[in-house]
Amino acid sequence: MRHDDAPPGLNAAMTSGPSPVPGEGTGSLRQRLAALATPSILIAVLAVLVLALIWGMTLNLIAVEHAAAQEAAMVSTRKQTETYEAQLVRAVREIDQTLKLVGFVHASRPERNMLEALAARGLLPANMLFVVSIADREGHVVSSTRPSTTARTIDPEDFAHERQDDALWIGRPRKATGNREWQLQFGRRLAAADGSFDGVVVIEFDASYFVSVYEASRLGEHGMLGVLGTDGIMRVRRSGEVVSAADVVDYASVVPAESAESLTVAVTVNPWDGVKRYTGIQPLYEFPLAVIVGLSEDEQLAPTRQTTRTYLWRAAAGSVVLILVAAWLQRLSTQLALSRQRIADEQLAHAQRVEYLAYHDNLTGLPNRSLFSKLLGQSIHLAHRHDRQLAVMFLDLDRFKQVNDSLGHEAGDQLLKEVAARLRTCLRDSDTVARIGGDEFVALLPELDQQMYAATVAQKILSATARPFLLLGQEFRVTASIGISTYPQDGLDEQTLTKNADVAMYKAKEEGKNNFQFYSEKLNEHSLERLALESALRHALDRGEFQLHYQAKRDTRSGRISGMEALVRWQHPDLGTIAPMQFIPIAEETGLIVLIGHWVLATACRQNVAWHRGGLPSMTMAVNLTARQFFDEGLLPSLSSILAETGMDAHLLELEIHESLLMRNVDQTMKILTGLKRMGIRIAIDDFGIGYSSLSALRQFPLDTIKIDRSFIRDVANVADNKALTAAVIAMGHTLSLTVVAQGVETKEQADFLRQNECDEFQGFYLNKPVRADQMEALLREEVAAGRTEAEYLL
Amino acid sequence: MNKRIVLLLAALIVSGPASAADVVVIVNTLATAPTREQLADIYLGRSRAFTPLDQSESRPIYVEFYQKATGRDLAQVKAAWSRIVFAGRGVAPREMASAAAMKAAVAADPKAIGYIDKADLDASVKVALTLN
Repeated sequence: MRHDDAPPGLNAAMTSGPSPVPGEGTGSLRQRLAALATPSILIAVLAVLVLALIWGMTLNLIAVEHAAAQEAAMVSTRKQTETYEAQLVRAVREIDQTLKLVGFVHASRPERNMLEALAARGLLPANMLFVVSIADREGHVVSSTRPSTTARTIDPEDFAHERQDDALWIGRPRKATGNREWQLQFGRRLAAADGSFDGVVVIEFDASYFVSVYEASRLGEHGMLGVLGTDGIMRVRRSGEVVSAADVVDYASVVPAESAESLTVAVTVNPWDGVKRYTGIQPLYEFPLAVIVGLSEDEQLAPTRQTTRTYLWRAAAGSVVLILVAAWLQRLSTQLALSRQRIADEQLAHAQRVEYLAYHDNLTGLPNRSLFSKLLGQSIHLAHRHDRQLAVMFLDLDRFKQVNDSLGHEAGDQLLKEVAARLRTCLRDSDTVARIGGDEFVALLPELDQQMYAATVAQKILSATARPFLLLGQEFRVTASIGISTYPQDGLDEQTLTKNADVAMYKAKEEGKNNFQFYSEKLNEHSLERLALESALRHALDRGEFQLHYQAKRDTRSGRISGMEALVRWQHPDLGTIAPMQFIPIAEETGLIVLIGHWVLATACRQNVAWHRGGLPSMTMAVNLTARQFFDEGLLPSLSSILAETGMDAHLLELEIHESLLMRNVDQTMKILTGLKRMGIRIAIDDFGIGYSSLSALRQFPLDTIKIDRSFIRDVANVADNKALTAAVIAMGHTLSLTVVAQGVETKEQADFLRQNECDEFQGFYLNKPVRADQMEALLREEVAAGRTEAEYLL
Repeated sequence: MNKRIVLLLAALIVSGPASAADVVVIVNTLATAPTREQLADIYLGRSRAFTPLDQSESRPIYVEFYQKATGRDLAQVKAAWSRIVFAGRGVAPREMASAAAMKAAVAADPKAIGYIDKADLDASVKVALTLN
């Protein structure tokens, strides 16, 4: 994971989004079920179901209607066939009765006007419809109820057949001359008294008589009534208003053998006119005829077809409406889902932002201490489980405080950002770097194959940090100190690992900075001591554990005490007296030096004023300033308030600063020194001669005193080079009108040498050790009372 | 169709100037005379209030009567009676041999109704309607 990623919890929340990823193995069934429950799919499924329902019902209804219509047509056909059969049988019987009557009368007493007599008695069928004729043996009509038909003869073919047979004879339909209507003739043989053939009696009528009961209301325009002879000749048929006859059909195919004696109803295409009909056929029992009743399928099903169309239209309209509604709902649902999603996204983004802020450093965007702690905990867990190593790397910028102090906080922030960016480039994606304090960074290398990698990374970081930074338009260099601890060697838990990395980092600082150190047990002991000191130091001021010792400075020639240097001592209740070189660096690093320094200055000034008021001669009081104190912005105001408070004469206060400080930032140093000078405070350069100051720079600064470093003085009596060098330094100081003080004078030889070379003052164990204030006061009073210098006495 | 035209021509030839002669509908003297509408119904087989009697088809008065009484041509009249007879719901008008026979039949039956040339009218029957 990279350091700028969100914490792991959030990442997990983000990857498991609302839409299920297809092909994800686990819980896919549940996901699919859940997906089904989403409104849009629900709507679609419902819409399809309702559509299926609508169409299923519609088609079913149509099928039912169709079946009902077919059934109704069949039933109607059957009934009408039965009725028609009854009517035809009666009509044919009536005709046959008449023929038999005429035959009977003819046989009993034949007379020429027999027909007229029968007609007069109403024994013949009405003249309006029927013509009854009698033909002689040759077929000539000899008598008829209608005189105009007298000329007509019986069809010879039929007549021949009639000679022998005594049955009812049914003639083929024909059209008589001068008549367009089809005529039918029914006849019977006439017998003489002795039974011999004596001609025929024939009843002739319009064929349409048989189909006169055709009614459009029941049969439609394309239905049919028909009478078919068993000889396959259609005697007459009618469809609508059209009457025709004489079609020849295959009787056997029209009237199947198995149904020859019973009524059959079937849907067939009638061979005589090609119309498809529900056709009822009933052969007559006593006559060689069959009745045919037909209902046109087209006509019978037309209302149903109309209904069907209506249903289909309704279903279609319903479907369209349904689809529109579903689409509309779908749209609403989608919009709703989108807006929900948007709100959820916003909330998530907000939560992520909040979490991000909680877990990241505002300035650099790196994870902060809490996130790092979390990640480290997880990494330790994983390393434990997979039996792996990991490394924690503490990093502290060596000169960051100077940047902050000299260039301001903005530049400091910019530097931190830049450092953060460089650190990122030094690490792998799986590594994490966090900022856990001012200039403190910590890196986690969770996949550590060998310690070499940690060393490589540390070296990379050192190189990256060492490259110059461009701050406020000027190049600036910082270095870093790195401490490394590894799991499991240097600790099994988060706290131990971080603490030990910290310890290793301090070791790196001690080793001269700009390097990295691996943790070792030995380091820890040392560091614990340091930590204990640091912690104790924080309370030392409050508990009044500090005190000042004073070391006298003497005039080289007179030997009299010319001034003194205030030296801070720490009297720890358990550890005893702790040397400044042990705790001052810690105070400097932690910043406590500013407070401690303030106390030292104030105490020294107060003491000096007290002595002066107590009748002692006025003397200079020298106080040391560390770098941090010197560059602290509060230095000048703090000094002026101390002077005002204590009533100390500024000219008697001398501040000693280390030579190396001068060259660090010339402009800044000059500004501060000038400020001090303006207040009247004297300035001394401490440990002069080892800091490689440039003489030209030295000349620019408003200095009063240089204190020659004790390393020169130590060997001044024995080593010729040092003698020359010390003499030169003294001469140079005088050239620059500076007071020259020798430090660390411990022997008479050294003192003699300095006097010979006109050094102004000296300081050291030879004459005076640092002593408590009361001892110093006693010393001073003694000197005043004696009226002579101890030096003279001693010298 | 041919038959009807022949009959019509024959009627015109036979009746000649008498074609404009009045046809009278006669009923029994005891009977109540039918209206014209009833008359048409009776001769088309739609009413059984009277038993219709007919003249011979070959006489001119036949065509004239049916035209005046029913407003139909003979084919239509025939079709109407065909349906009635075939369905067994009635009997076609019986044909009388002469005007005298018609009068005698009407005089003998209170339910009988007939038609004759006005010229043949006498007191044995009652005039129900005069068609002209």
